Amino acid sequence: MKERVLVAMSGGVDSSVAAALLVGQGYDVVGATMKLFCHGEDVPDRPCCSLDSVNDARRVCERLGVPHYVINLESRFGIDVVDDFVNEYARGRTPIPCVRCNTFTKFRDFVHKADAIDARWIATGHYARVVDGELRRGRDDNKDQTYFLWGIDRAVLTRMLLPVGDSTKSETRQLARTLGLSVVAEKAESQEICFVPDGDYVGILRQKLGDDSPALSRGPIVTSEGRFVAEHEGYARYTIGQRRGLPGGFPMPMYVVGIRPGDRAVVIGPRDDLLGRGVIAREVNWLAEPPRVGAKVEVRVRHRAPLAPGELIRIDGAEIEIALDAPVSAMTPGQSLVLYQGETVLGGGFIEIATREAGDRMALPIMAA
Amino acid sequence: MPPAPIYLDHAATTPVREEVFESMRPFFGARFGNPSSTHRWGREARAALDEARERVAKCLGGRQDEVCFTSGGTEGDNLAILGVWRSLRDKNRNAVVTTPIEHKAVLGAVHQAACEGAEERYVEVDSSGTVSDTSFDALLGSDVAICSVMWVNNEIGTIQRLPELAERAKAKGVVVHTDAVQAFGKVRIDAASQCFDLLSISGHKIGAPKGIGALYIRRGTPLQPLMHGGSQDRGRRPGTENVAMAVGLATAAEIVLAEHETESARLLAMRRRLEAAILEKVPDAVIHGRSADRAPHVISVSVPGTDSESLLMALDLQGIAASGGSACQSGSVMPSHVLLALGLRPDLAGAAIRLSLGALTTDECIDRVAEVLPALVLKARILVPLA
Repeated sequence: MKERVLVAMSGGVDSSVAAALLVGQGYDVVGATMKLFCHGEDVPDRPCCSLDSVNDARRVCERLGVPHYVINLESRFGIDVVDDFVNEYARGRTPIPCVRCNTFTKFRDFVHKADAIDARWIATGHYARVVDGELRRGRDDNKDQTYFLWGIDRAVLTRMLLPVGDSTKSETRQLARTLGLSVVAEKAESQEICFVPDGDYVGILRQKLGDDSPALSRGPIVTSEGRFVAEHEGYARYTIGQRRGLPGGFPMPMYVVGIRPGDRAVVIGPRDDLLGRGVIAREVNWLAEPPRVGAKVEVRVRHRAPLAPGELIRIDGAEIEIALDAPVSAMTPGQSLVLYQGETVLGGGFIEIATREAGDRMALPIMAA
Repeated sequence: MPPAPIYLDHAATTPVREEVFESMRPFFGARFGNPSSTHRWGREARAALDEARERVAKCLGGRQDEVCFTSGGTEGDNLAILGVWRSLRDKNRNAVVTTPIEHKAVLGAVHQAACEGAEERYVEVDSSGTVSDTSFDALLGSDVAICSVMWVNNEIGTIQRLPELAERAKAKGVVVHTDAVQAFGKVRIDAASQCFDLLSISGHKIGAPKGIGALYIRRGTPLQPLMHGGSQDRGRRPGTENVAMAVGLATAAEIVLAEHETESARLLAMRRRLEAAILEKVPDAVIHGRSADRAPHVISVSVPGTDSESLLMALDLQGIAASGGSACQSGSVMPSHVLLALGLRPDLAGAAIRLSLGALTTDECIDRVAEVLPALVLKARILVPLA
């Protein structure tokens, strides 16, 4: 038998197929489902702690004849992911909790569990590939998940197995059927944030911040010239590029172009106000040798957005700045900026600020506060 | 070939004994009758049930009409606590006294009573898990309906001086219940000379199947049934009786009592040997309740700098079955409420594992665990602790 691998199993089709493929390849597979949050009695239809997911993962492991455990990472996940999610909204940003979950929960805390059971490898159902010690995009462009993986410890790459990264989603489903994993083969894709019941993230913010917190309190909607238009019920309900829920009566479509926690303002403007050629990211992590200033790269600023070519024009410790060849719309503070060269992920960071022109300090209205 | 798996989780459940299985077999075949029927088939089943009831009563030192068959420990605990409290609440006895280290079945039943208006009172326990006499006396009064104190703790094995406690409670007119699920076969239980009013036992902890247990109910104890229906078991527990399993429980109970002295001595010697081996190789390991009087079959141990979840996985992958605190619905290991109630630091409570010895345990098992456990612990501790 090959070495032991600890597989993170959510009860979904991707991680189930990942486990099945590894069993087929002769690995000593141990399945584990992470318990990350508990809504207790608050969500009537869903029993405590995503019990259904745990049960599905357990059923798959029974079918594969491998052990299955539940690993409780609830308190760390609460601090590393949920609290950060809430704080980011409070700061007027749009968080991307899956990045922090990968960085801190799946590829750090979970790796410690792998160490404890002498597992040489850890595996997940991510659509990405590890080749020659590099993280590369998954073969299915529509499903590629490297946008969420840039933050992991580079050393962990040498222990990662991503068995479905070579498949398309439909191939994965087909594999699930062939492998007899009928429990999960037809399961619907979850696009929601796992710890947000029923997609209502405002509910979580309310619970954690309180109804009277600034982020959830009434504030002005203003145009980028500063004209008061209407009132809103809390800036945390908005994200850059949003159109829904804005007042009408303008000659052109209006978008959220900025959020200013200082005066609780939601700034709106026409589409052009969203365009920027400069972007600065912080908390940068490299998964390859860091490129030099002047390097040509391609970046992604939103999940599934097209790759945008540009140049790395500054590195200051964990902060970088990119000059984009062409303007990009709605680069949103709190989202990821991921750098690629070809298929390879060089690294990434969290978008701090988008600017009209790279190098100038004239921020888009977004950071006008 | 990997070494044979080792089961050290007898406090969770035990294998059904061969004699028990054989004793039940006729009732899955020709003797299938309903004990409430008046015909031959019914009479045969009735005879078996009556006999089983008498045998269990004898094992507890009680009379046959004082034994009520239940589905197990949880039902017995609920029936005792809710049944008595609901009978006495309107007679100026609205309080329920218990300890914070009870099984969830007792704590849950007390909580339910509180939801229905009871006043809940918790007796203090010391760091080894022994009930404080002063606190016990202070909480008992003429307003208390029932007190429930577990005889042998299921997580750390602490034995309470239950007969003494029961006498003091009776002196104040309080009905006394004890969860004796872990105590049966480990301490001397005798309803004739001890004055508890209600006592729950569970079949699957003593070599009978899951799904059968008994509640001893002293004559004259006020008790409302939990379920309503037919007149089976004097109306205390309506529903067609589980004849086969009642017979199985009686058989298991008799065997366990017959073996009590030799088996307790055997388990105690093995437990002491394992504890000594652990402490020799891991000197800072904490064995819970060590200074208290403890049942011979339970070791609860925490090693600073480890966590029970990882250790249990690592042990299981080595073929050694142990358990942690209590598992939640999803199966994840939660820090034990018992250990937290003893005032243990949360990190130590989160590191506790329980090894419980029993019929399947041999000297060879102990040797192997004494070798493997310290090695896994040492390995777990050199891993960089989480930030």
